[in-house]
Amino acid sequence: MGSPGTLDTRPSTAWLRRLARTTPGVIGIIALGVAAICVIAGVVCGAQLDGRIDERNAVLTRSEPFAYAAQNLYAALSAADAAAASAFLSGGIETAEMRAQYQQALARASSALADATAGTTDTETRTAMAEISVQLGAYTALVEAARANNRQGNVIGSAYLREASTLMQTSLLLRAENVYTGKLATVAEGQRAVGSLPVVSLVLLALAIVGIGVSSVMMYRRTNRQFNIGLVVAAATVILVIGWVVVATQLAAGEIEHSRTEGSERFEQLARARILAQKARTDETLELIARGDIAAGEKSFYSHIDELGKLLEAAPAAAKDAVQKWTDSHRKQVEAYNGGDYGAAVAQAIGPDPAASATQFAAVESNLRDGIERTRETLRDRVSAAGTWLAWSPTATLVLMVVAASAAVVGLWPRLKEFL
Amino acid sequence: MRTRVVVALLAVAVAVAGCGSTVAPESVSVSPAEPWPSGAAEVTTTPTAANAADCDREASLRPGPLPSPGAMPPGSTMAAIAERGRLIAGVDQSTDLFGSRNPATGQLEGFDIDIAREIARAIFGDPNRIQLRVVNAKERESVLQSGEVDVVVRTYSITCERKQVVDFSTVYYYADQKILSAKGSGIDSAAALGGKRVCAVSGTTSLSKLLGFNPRPQVFSATTWTDCLVMLQQGQVDAISTDDSVLKGLAVQDPTVGVSGDSIAKEPYGIGVNKDHEDLVRFVNGVLEKMRDDGTWERLYEARLQQALGPSPGPPAPRYED
Repeated sequence: MGSPGTLDTRPSTAWLRRLARTTPGVIGIIALGVAAICVIAGVVCGAQLDGRIDERNAVLTRSEPFAYAAQNLYAALSAADAAAASAFLSGGIETAEMRAQYQQALARASSALADATAGTTDTETRTAMAEISVQLGAYTALVEAARANNRQGNVIGSAYLREASTLMQTSLLLRAENVYTGKLATVAEGQRAVGSLPVVSLVLLALAIVGIGVSSVMMYRRTNRQFNIGLVVAAATVILVIGWVVVATQLAAGEIEHSRTEGSERFEQLARARILAQKARTDETLELIARGDIAAGEKSFYSHIDELGKLLEAAPAAAKDAVQKWTDSHRKQVEAYNGGDYGAAVAQAIGPDPAASATQFAAVESNLRDGIERTRETLRDRVSAAGTWLAWSPTATLVLMVVAASAAVVGLWPRLKEFL
Repeated sequence: MRTRVVVALLAVAVAVAGCGSTVAPESVSVSPAEPWPSGAAEVTTTPTAANAADCDREASLRPGPLPSPGAMPPGSTMAAIAERGRLIAGVDQSTDLFGSRNPATGQLEGFDIDIAREIARAIFGDPNRIQLRVVNAKERESVLQSGEVDVVVRTYSITCERKQVVDFSTVYYYADQKILSAKGSGIDSAAALGGKRVCAVSGTTSLSKLLGFNPRPQVFSATTWTDCLVMLQQGQVDAISTDDSVLKGLAVQDPTVGVSGDSIAKEPYGIGVNKDHEDLVRFVNGVLEKMRDDGTWERLYEARLQQALGPSPGPPAPRYED
């Protein structure tokens, strides 16, 4: 198409150049140019604002629910392991209640697994979830092998349980934590995208204003009329659109800021706290299962508790109080253990006494879970509100820019008509 | 000309609109889960055995008259233990027959643990004044040296190398290193182990023996003997080699495996004591002497070992170096 094309354009550009030297030509070009830049700016602006609404919907319908499901998955897996460990420590055949706790934790884990993968397209997450799924199957198989052997009085039962726990702690929980961290990063990305200024649109809108200004000057030179009403209306409309876009995105950004400070940051802290509490609980039960030197376990327990304390500085008193009582109970457990009273240490760790670790840990856990539910609501409400501010913006900016374009054409038409 | 351009553009537009809408999402695939016991690993390097000078490994210190319970000589290690109120013994919780956790009660029990209780009885007059601290095989020397435990009663083979860092009592049991494998597998001698995957606990004499075999087996180390049995049941190793006493404890848990082969090595079990506590070594030897004389040893053998290991060979005769 090369050579006929160039042959074809030369006469037409020559024709354009001739036309540009005449006044009606100039007016026509101005009318077309202003209309074009207004429509282009309107379309781009609408698309960019629409993109922000899409991002907001993605946060609400995908990334946030995924992050929530991923942290639930971690908690459920950890709870299953804790239930299995407690059943083992209690000696004998586990009670129906302990069995139920274990099975409920597994059911929660499976539900969270389904929630966290629903509609996920990225291969990385789906691979991680498939791995968690296959390993969860292996984990339950090992726990059941341990149970069957325990029932027959075979010492190997505890070896199977230790293997199961190792699989959980070194592989399953690690993967769940990674998925959760990744999902949370996606939420933060989405939030940033919703609240960001649509720079390209603003540049195009500014260009439209400049174009209208330049056109006005040229019209003044050609026709000696100071203002063309069409161009004035177009300019006013474009300024209105710029104001609209800036105000709407700033309002949305404000909501997003709230969703971050009161929602996701808090959510992240609480979820992190929940994971730390689960890890500290694992430390204290594993110490008893290993029944050896507890120095390393103690160090790990207190590092998790210290970090947990820092995260809970702003938490409700009930949660802090429960952590305090739990730590006190743990101290008693270690005293009993170091004093040679293993039975008392086990009772302190998993016994039903309301002041003992099991009850206090359950209180910490439920406090954190409730806190997570609440901040989750805040996060979703704020992100949703950000979308409300943007809701009509794409349509409105597009319509207004078409209005601006029409105003310019309609305003210039009488001037052009004078020459026809 | 112009119509041709328009037609071409239209054709491109239709083509663009047509593609990109029907690509199937990429399927993920993961490998099967293959869990291993914690701490299990293949041993590839032969530890440079600090070849201890030959010694009479079974000779220990001669006991004096045994003080009566509750009246330990002042200033002695036993008096310090009596002061504390309990004996701290390093034991095992996963070796059936000798030291294992009863799944039904959560209590530790076995031949080794009964012997540790006899030492507590000799100090306090009460076998329950004891704290059982579980130690891994490879920690046995370090917990004695650090003073974390008073005695280690844990299928502890006396070797000249170990005698350089800890003291041992007289021999209280003789074991033979043998092989455990699936019945009918034909893995029943040191020669048959060549090239096979064999498991042993790290820090044991059995592991060092395996590494010295020619042809050399593919050796895996684990933390406990039950971990080795788990690996055998999961098809990750073909055989386990250690003391017959330990292997028979494993064999009772799985009817498809058996203990076979001639003795690869004789293993004398002793009670480990800190090298600085000579008085405690003599005291423990006194307790063992008393157990042999008053029939306690036979009674414990009958209660813990007879069913799996057969009729009592009688307590080993003590040998003293002084």
